[in-house]
Amino acid sequence: MPIVARDASLLIVRGADALNFIDGLSTNLVKNLQSGSHVQTVFTDRNARIIDLCTCYHMDSFIVLIGHNQNREILLTHLNGRILTSDVQISDATENNDFFIEITEETKEYSKGITALRIAESEVLLVASKGTGPDADMNREQWNEWRIQEVRPDVGHEISNKCHPFSCGLEHLVHPEKGCYIGQEILVRMRSRGTIGRGLQRVENGSCKPNFVTTKGKSHCLAIVRINNRESQ
Amino acid sequence: MDCGTCETAPAVLITKPEPVSVSLTITERATTMLTDAFGDDDSHALLVGVSSGGCSGYMYDLQIVESTEQDVQELNIDGFRVLVPNATSHLLDGIEIDFVEKLMGGGFKINNPSADSTCGCGESFS
Repeated sequence: MPIVARDASLLIVRGADALNFIDGLSTNLVKNLQSGSHVQTVFTDRNARIIDLCTCYHMDSFIVLIGHNQNREILLTHLNGRILTSDVQISDATENNDFFIEITEETKEYSKGITALRIAESEVLLVASKGTGPDADMNREQWNEWRIQEVRPDVGHEISNKCHPFSCGLEHLVHPEKGCYIGQEILVRMRSRGTIGRGLQRVENGSCKPNFVTTKGKSHCLAIVRINNRESQ
Repeated sequence: MDCGTCETAPAVLITKPEPVSVSLTITERATTMLTDAFGDDDSHALLVGVSSGGCSGYMYDLQIVESTEQDVQELNIDGFRVLVPNATSHLLDGIEIDFVEKLMGGGFKINNPSADSTCGCGESFS
């Protein structure tokens, strides 16, 4: 099955308050995460703009946050400033690992040393120690064509600090019932009033304004376009 | 991850803000409520802290404690012992502790001139 290399980051969060700390800063329910489980969540600022999309994996004695390398510094700054008196320590293992996504719906065994986390019905996130991962056989162009077909947002295209999670296809990661987190008030208001504004769609090339296009493919593209808010609810 | 690379990962250097010498005030209404709560017992103190979270990023955390293991600065405001953790002192300088009556009951309210914004429920600030 196709495998694409990812420029990801890997932060390790230790301490008694680690789960609650992440839960209070991101959109999905994290605090009940059990050892060996993972969940995707979005760190947002107080204007509900995205800081990073992360996969949060409970490894028993610590929590792993797999995010995107281009957002690593801003995420670290965001986290560091909010540790305050919490029992939280963060270390950075990005440089020790390689990251991949395999497109497959199959459940299979991976070689020893590779951590496989299913992050979508047809996507498995693979983390391997440096130089020991699988060979990537999908290039950037093929990955983008696949994403357009599947309406799958990606960091650097749809997912950016100009967007909130609803506008770039991450609404499923905004938990409807969890308690306070940074940006929650804005997201809850958008959802309850039906004023999401823009949404991610797959459209034919040339059928929308060029500045709405986030990923351009051969015949279709992904675009963040104005949507009929009431219908979107 | 499962290969053990996490154990050798370097700790991220955390830049902690320098503690500031906190100045705070307590309104008359809040003083009345604290007098009711403390009575003549001067063994307890009001711990005014901040934790991360809430819609705006930080949340106030008021507790009545006998002591704390946190590194704190102790103030005497109108006869009350007030403890402020040094780790969050930069967020608390200049605050006013008030007490407000609401439909759902009364509660302490922090007025913070340094806060850029507060969330609708007034529990968190940034």
